[in-house]
Amino acid sequence: MRLLLDLRKISEPAERERLAREADGHGIWGVVVTGPRGGECVEASALATTTQHVTIVIDIDGNDVHPTTLAEEISVLDQITKRRTMVIFRGPSTSKTSLATLLSGLPCEGVILSPPPAQASIPVHSPEDIPETNLPEDMAQLATTIDQYRDSQTAFLIVSWARSIKELARHAVGRSASNDFPQMVADMADQIDPIDQ
Amino acid sequence: MDMGIGLWCLQSTSTNPRSFGQAYQELVEDARLAEDNGVHSLWLSEHHAYYDGYCPALMPAAAAALAATENIQIGTGVLLLPLHEPQRIANAANLLNEQSSGRFHLGVGMGYRPIEFEIKQRDMSQRLKLMNAGLDALYSATQTPTWVGISSEKAAERAGRRGLGLFISGAFSKEVVNTLIRAHRTAWEKSDPDEDTPPPVGLLRNLWIVDSQKERRRALDWVRSSYLVYAGLGWGADNTGVDFVSQIETSMDEVEKSATVGSAEEIAAELDGYDVDLVVCRIGYDQPPRSALTEVIERIGRELAPLVQDSGVKL
Repeated sequence: MRLLLDLRKISEPAERERLAREADGHGIWGVVVTGPRGGECVEASALATTTQHVTIVIDIDGNDVHPTTLAEEISVLDQITKRRTMVIFRGPSTSKTSLATLLSGLPCEGVILSPPPAQASIPVHSPEDIPETNLPEDMAQLATTIDQYRDSQTAFLIVSWARSIKELARHAVGRSASNDFPQMVADMADQIDPIDQ
Repeated sequence: MDMGIGLWCLQSTSTNPRSFGQAYQELVEDARLAEDNGVHSLWLSEHHAYYDGYCPALMPAAAAALAATENIQIGTGVLLLPLHEPQRIANAANLLNEQSSGRFHLGVGMGYRPIEFEIKQRDMSQRLKLMNAGLDALYSATQTPTWVGISSEKAAERAGRRGLGLFISGAFSKEVVNTLIRAHRTAWEKSDPDEDTPPPVGLLRNLWIVDSQKERRRALDWVRSSYLVYAGLGWGADNTGVDFVSQIETSMDEVEKSATVGSAEEIAAELDGYDVDLVVCRIGYDQPPRSALTEVIERIGRELAPLVQDSGVKL
């Protein structure tokens, strides 16, 4: 299971950038961003420029816009992020199908994207595909929550987290990836290298 | 008069193939280099569904350049407004200006390639109507400085009546440019404007700084070659009404004639005759080696910009 840090409710641009950098530096798999209708890829592109590794997941409004226009914006974004783009699409299912086809590099109704996406195929999800949760601050409850989602075959989990990103990385990333997480090592790390909140 | 550079199209052409990742990386590097050398602005250009990946989505590209810089202005020269939903463009422009402390300029044009209207399921015969509706929507939804790409007196007048800036195409003679500027200014004055100063005028110019006749010839060959690359867009559209193939040599001769190539002093003297606020030096050709491009960016900022700063109008 891969963790996606939710930045959609962070209102201050500077704070979003700080958290994206922290996530980038601590191995969080993705950050979820959005923007005003039409500005989603602008927000994502700005964060991509200040990060190197983290996947930029855009939550995008696909209503009242041609799917080819969306696909062009996302394809350009994927060139800027250097293959670090993923999509959560909100809109008509026919548009989602067209978008996913175009973002796979395939023709759709005679159109093929130019430039193509940088990655072979940009994943396009619906909001209901990816569960969201506010992670508890209590470490025991955090572990239980992560275990539940991981063991129910969840591929991605969008998390809200108000504490240190390093702490999230230390206690949740490894646990999300493995059902044999050595909690003792994470706890020992807290003693050797306490995390200031 | 301010000096900008353009047009960054993010292509991978048959003449100069490259990865698109490299193209977008170099956009960011070029924006930083231009900023470090005092260039006023960098301008992007849009087309759709062309083999070379000509950038179809300027707002994310502008966001990358703005996020990587602190002072330089970034503009679209131009975004094809009838192919977009104006409210989405206004929202994106507002966000870009919020993120960059007001360094984004929105240049808009109508477009002319039928295939671009077809893939967006828009009626190209209605493009003027779509353009005007788009400008109306932008007026009420954004304070972003807006420029209109034009190539006729009527279009210049329409922009003037709306109080919008002009973005004039690169291949016109000085006489034609000045006629367009007069039409724009007169229409603005007749519109009973609230503002004291007229909307700005930007001029796109094929331009290169050289030190010898040999370099001059080389630069003019790049200009000719760039027109050939650009004309391919016309060939790709089979019903523009223009016979690009049979006119190519004549057109390249005309483009070469209108190019401004010389020493910084010679170029400054040539530009002094234009009553414009901004010159966008068209240097985004695909043939010059990268070292030549970065050198001319540095020279535009360090040598040319100081020579023309008192010409025209300062933005």
